[in-house]
Amino acid sequence: MQYLLNGLPIGAIYALVALSYSLIYTASGVLNWSQGDMVMLGAYLGFAFFHFLHFGFTLALLGAMLLVGAIGILVQLCILRPLRKRQAPPINVVIATLGVAIVTRNLALAIWGPEAQIFPSPVSSAPLAIGALSVTRQDLLIVAVAILLMIVLHYLLRKTRKGKALRAVAQDRYAAVLMGVDTEKSDALAFAASAALGAAAGILVAPVFFVTFNMGAGIGLKGFVAAVIGGLGNIPAAIAGGFFLGIVESVAGGQISSGYRDAITFALLILVLWLRPSGLFLRKVRQRV
Amino acid sequence: MAIENTGKKLVLLLAVAVPLLLPLLVSNNYYLHVINLAGIYTLIAIGLNLLSGYTGQVSMGQAGFFALGTYVAGLLAINLGIPFWAASLAAIAACALCGAAIAIPAMRLSGPYLVLATVGFGEIIRLILLNWTPVTRGAAGLTAIPLPKFFGWQCSSEAQFYYLIFSFVLLGTYVAYRLAHSKVGRTFAAIREDELAAEAMGVRVNRYKSAAFVLSAIYAGMAGALYGAFSGVASPDNFTFDDSVAFLCMSVIGGSRTIVGALIGSFMLTGMSEALRALQTYRLILYGGILIFTVIYMPQGLAGLAATVRARLRRTAGRSAAASTGGEGKA
Repeated sequence: MQYLLNGLPIGAIYALVALSYSLIYTASGVLNWSQGDMVMLGAYLGFAFFHFLHFGFTLALLGAMLLVGAIGILVQLCILRPLRKRQAPPINVVIATLGVAIVTRNLALAIWGPEAQIFPSPVSSAPLAIGALSVTRQDLLIVAVAILLMIVLHYLLRKTRKGKALRAVAQDRYAAVLMGVDTEKSDALAFAASAALGAAAGILVAPVFFVTFNMGAGIGLKGFVAAVIGGLGNIPAAIAGGFFLGIVESVAGGQISSGYRDAITFALLILVLWLRPSGLFLRKVRQRV
Repeated sequence: MAIENTGKKLVLLLAVAVPLLLPLLVSNNYYLHVINLAGIYTLIAIGLNLLSGYTGQVSMGQAGFFALGTYVAGLLAINLGIPFWAASLAAIAACALCGAAIAIPAMRLSGPYLVLATVGFGEIIRLILLNWTPVTRGAAGLTAIPLPKFFGWQCSSEAQFYYLIFSFVLLGTYVAYRLAHSKVGRTFAAIREDELAAEAMGVRVNRYKSAAFVLSAIYAGMAGALYGAFSGVASPDNFTFDDSVAFLCMSVIGGSRTIVGALIGSFMLTGMSEALRALQTYRLILYGGILIFTVIYMPQGLAGLAATVRARLRRTAGRSAAASTGGEGKA
């Protein structure tokens, strides 16, 4: 039971990152490998705001989300748009985003150096006891902020004009163009929102792990795994996949073997892909490949 | 015409002579070492081109097969003293089996799903190598992998390894070239272009897709066996996700739909990576930038670019020839 509970906060992080992958993939059909490095950027920028500008936690979170969101737009503008214009094969798009990841990661290394930075938790470190179980306040904060962000995203996608346009493009790009939707704008919005979600995940996870230039690689990959296990291209499925993966990891690491924890995760992934390519939490099998 | 023929013969002569005499021309052992490494990566990239470029199945887990090849051949040589050729065969067999196994889930997948499944495969192999300490020696990895020996002749210097690796690259290129220009190659391309249509034409799609996986695994496995013997040491750190990405980049940057593209890509990226070493931290920033630039502006890779340039030159040459004959006609 304690393992289950321990899995929730990391699951919430994975859910945020999974959401960011899923959002971009649904909206623009792009598999964006630089998503993990947006997490890293979010953590560093949050750290900078917190440490040098003495922002409060909320302000640092919003500031980092805004800045990283702008970087997301930049990536869409400078890299995705020319690729689309040339109708480049999908593999080229994948490699371009991998290139973005390499550049971002090493830029962070050049700027902030190889040492891990310690990001102080905004809440007290005394754990809370619920019956026989205990949770840290930071864990509660992670889960609460993550859920809040998911609700905000849901509202933006369902209720605002831009959000509706984005969903229309996701459903049928060609039809959306005919209806007068600016697909470039909706792509930019998807990239911005995804990057901002990643940044939020970065700040939330920073007090738990250390902030390092390559922290994004692991989290990014796990977030992608969570998105696919849940069901790529569907937002609730991505969230469910995130929490599911967090719990599986926690249980596998605690009960079976910590060394093989990731191997178990990937084996599970291949199994899911083999048996249910549309993901665990999607009922309909939709051909989106 | 005669001049053009002589030119072609000269190019062919150079293409044969330069690689054969290279160790005599390059006296610097470091350069030769980098060339040898690029040769080993060429084998992996050729396999990837058959798998991804021809058949359209993108793999980001080739480091897994590469690792398997290195460890199987290396462990057999270290623990049992098995000669290089037999250990290589065992490595190839192990990789082929593994390739066939991963092809079972892979043939139902495409796009990001396939990419992720292959990433998962590569990571599983790496984590097993890291954690199965009694057999794989864990994070410390393999040390003192014996040098290859053929009929009492031991391969030890960079130049000797050059000839060993060069012969495998030659063989690998030849086999892949013949395959790519045969019915098999055309079937691979048909599957890439439209799987459903190929199936409707009576192509056994799944069989060919698995065959491509097995082939790419064999190439990576042979590369692994050579790598272990060549470097003498190997640890799980040599076979990470980043390495898989690098192999895929070699394939795509060189031009994944040609065999020669694998050669170009691996030599380009290996050489570039070494040449940029002086820049230290900025090396990978530049490297990433070049990757982005290449995939945007040379979508078919360097081999594709060369083909476009050649076609354009031919067209201009044709036009000027037509213009000159036209002029003669008038006169």
